Amino acid sequence: MNLRLFHKFFFAFLAVGIAVVIVAGYLIERELRTDLSARIDDEIAAEARIIALMPAREIARNAEELARRAGARLTLIHTTGEVIADSERDISQMDNHLTRPEIQEARLRGVGKAVRYSTTLKKDMIYLTVALREGSKMTGYIRLSRPVTEIDLATLGMATTVIAIVLAIVGFSLTIALLISLKILSPIRRLTAFAGQVRTGNISGTLRIDTRDEIGQLAGCINDMVTALQEKIQTADVEKRKLESVFSSMREGVLVLDDENRIESVNRGMKAMTGRQSADVIGKTLLEAFRNSKLHDALERYREKEETLCEEIVFGHHPPVIMDVTFSNFYGETDGEQKTMLVFHDVTRLKKLERIRTDFIANVTHEIRTPLTAIIGFVETLRQGALDDRGKIQEFLQIIHSNAQRLNRLVDDLLILTGIESGETRFHPEQLPLDDTLHQVLTVIAERISEKKLKLQQQIPQDLPSIRADRDQLMQILLNILDNAVKFTPEGGTIIISASTGPEQDLILQITDTGVGIPKSEIPRLGERFYRADKMRSRELGGTGLGLSIVKHLMKVHSGRMVIESAPGRGTTVSLHFPLFQEST
Amino acid sequence: MEEKRHIRIQYDKELRDLKDKLIYAGALTEKAIEQGMSALLNRDTELATQVIANDTLIDRLDTEIEDKCIRLLALRQPAARDLRFITTAIKINGHLERIGDMAVNIAEKAIILNQEPLLKPYIDLPRMAEVAQGMIKESLDAFINEDVALAHKVRRDDQIIDNLNEQIFRELLTFMMENPHTIHRSLIISQISKLLERVSDHAEGIADMVIYMVTGQSVRHKPASAENG
Repeated sequence: MNLRLFHKFFFAFLAVGIAVVIVAGYLIERELRTDLSARIDDEIAAEARIIALMPAREIARNAEELARRAGARLTLIHTTGEVIADSERDISQMDNHLTRPEIQEARLRGVGKAVRYSTTLKKDMIYLTVALREGSKMTGYIRLSRPVTEIDLATLGMATTVIAIVLAIVGFSLTIALLISLKILSPIRRLTAFAGQVRTGNISGTLRIDTRDEIGQLAGCINDMVTALQEKIQTADVEKRKLESVFSSMREGVLVLDDENRIESVNRGMKAMTGRQSADVIGKTLLEAFRNSKLHDALERYREKEETLCEEIVFGHHPPVIMDVTFSNFYGETDGEQKTMLVFHDVTRLKKLERIRTDFIANVTHEIRTPLTAIIGFVETLRQGALDDRGKIQEFLQIIHSNAQRLNRLVDDLLILTGIESGETRFHPEQLPLDDTLHQVLTVIAERISEKKLKLQQQIPQDLPSIRADRDQLMQILLNILDNAVKFTPEGGTIIISASTGPEQDLILQITDTGVGIPKSEIPRLGERFYRADKMRSRELGGTGLGLSIVKHLMKVHSGRMVIESAPGRGTTVSLHFPLFQEST
Repeated sequence: MEEKRHIRIQYDKELRDLKDKLIYAGALTEKAIEQGMSALLNRDTELATQVIANDTLIDRLDTEIEDKCIRLLALRQPAARDLRFITTAIKINGHLERIGDMAVNIAEKAIILNQEPLLKPYIDLPRMAEVAQGMIKESLDAFINEDVALAHKVRRDDQIIDNLNEQIFRELLTFMMENPHTIHRSLIISQISKLLERVSDHAEGIADMVIYMVTGQSVRHKPASAENG
């Protein structure tokens, strides 16, 4: 408990009280002393005058008795200054008193007074002298003297009273100070406690001080202030939360660098993108956190120009992630503190799509040009005279024909693909028994199977349920898959066609070959247009590079899916999952 | 007093800049090895030439960092931790520069191999490259975060590399014995394997220096198994 205020009140009252007592005491004492000494003077003078009425001889004889009665020392002195009698001293040892000031005064005016230290009695004494007369003739002096201590004793009594009063004042001021400080301090102490609580952040509740004085007003003010503060903080909180939720729900990564280029904060998107916890990156430089030289270079470039900069930066390599990183100014809470905000936008997918598109155009032109070049080349040769050689003509025409057919196939495939992609190709689902279509397809490619001396094994159960499919599209799917199997299986290999019902109300048709197989890393890309796992061989075999792409799209239209498993050198299994036909649908 | 504080701030900034520069060099060499191996595995000659061209930047950084270190040593007369940091920086810088050179060597060999048919699908070499790259990455992470435990892990990983190196050599030996036409390619692949082994040694060197920098104890030339289990 802090009692400083109490101390202040107490000492203030004490000081004022004591000062008053001392000043008053001093004045009263002085007054009293003068008054008292005047009265003693008068008293002694009266006594001396009475004694002076007696004849000198009588006085000398009864000196001691007179002195006792007067309560003073009595000395009888001759006009010459010689001491005739003294009530307390042996006169033979006393010197001439004529030079004493009281005697001199009495000689001139009849009465003399002096206060002086007596060498004979070793005390401060009051001496009062009256001239002794017989008729008009002065015969000597009567001197009465009393010690000054009598006055001192009188004033001492008064000093005791003064001390008592001082003590009373001390007690009084102690009580008053205690009362006042209790009265004022307790609300002030509550004010202090409340302010402390507000400072630590607990801005709730109000201060209850019901007095109407200044302290009550102060309490009211503080209450108003706290309410206003509460409102302000609430508004700021709401704003902050809004911003935070925007930041954290953004899919883009946001990163803020402080003015020393250290990472100050990252949002959730950033954490999700980089797989880093904020503890891993906060306080680090960009280089420390990401160790990407390009990112650092971009920051340096941004620093040079200080204007918003957008850069495409590749992160990682397994697999690479391409990010559009935007650098911009970010002003911090305090002035002059210039921060940088980096917004990371993952464009890997966009870039991939872009690449597929440009690849597609490049591929289409390439695929069209190859047969066209052959056709044009051989037509040119024929025009330049080969027409005469009938054997050559046959051969050339054959080449031209096959290339034209290839071109035709390509255009057909492209048309099918665009048809499916744009949704122009209508999907007419019907209840189809799988084996019917399969038989039709097999008759189409039977010739090629026997040409390559491939063994075909069919493991199709008799009671296979029907599927929901479009007849023409189903044929296209089976043809493409079987065509691939035949194409990529070397002579003497085996193709196994099996079917079974799957667990998810679907029918699984599996076409397994003992062909060249596909490396695992290539499998995800197989559905891409013009993507060939083995570029040379595929083109040699007359593929357009669109077969699997068409199958993939058609399977999607059928609400089914295609799964490819393969091992290089051992063969490939394509599993087609078709939905079963259900009456309700 | 104010002036003294100012000098200290300036000095700290210089140390931070040095660290950033070193990490920058680390990022470049890390990338160089990754691209060199990628050029080899994906038979990408263009990427290989790029790796060779980029090495000048690493070399320039090497001298720049060394100058910075010497300047700091001469002007600031660092003591204790700062001194260890700067000497470590000098040594790590050297390791990084060497790793950069090896990336160039790998890229050069990739260009030669790309002109010839593929000997066989690479299986152990990518694995080895992965481990070596992981070691570089982790040694740099250890340096940045002053992570002694990670540095010790890098030291232990060196054993995996040594095993893979031997395995690759044995496999290549059988190839060469079977078919003398493969000797040229096999020798080059063996050299690449050796280069990766040396890259991992440099990564281990960086890890050693990190341990020294943080703890003040030298673990160089001591077996990894003896440390910190």
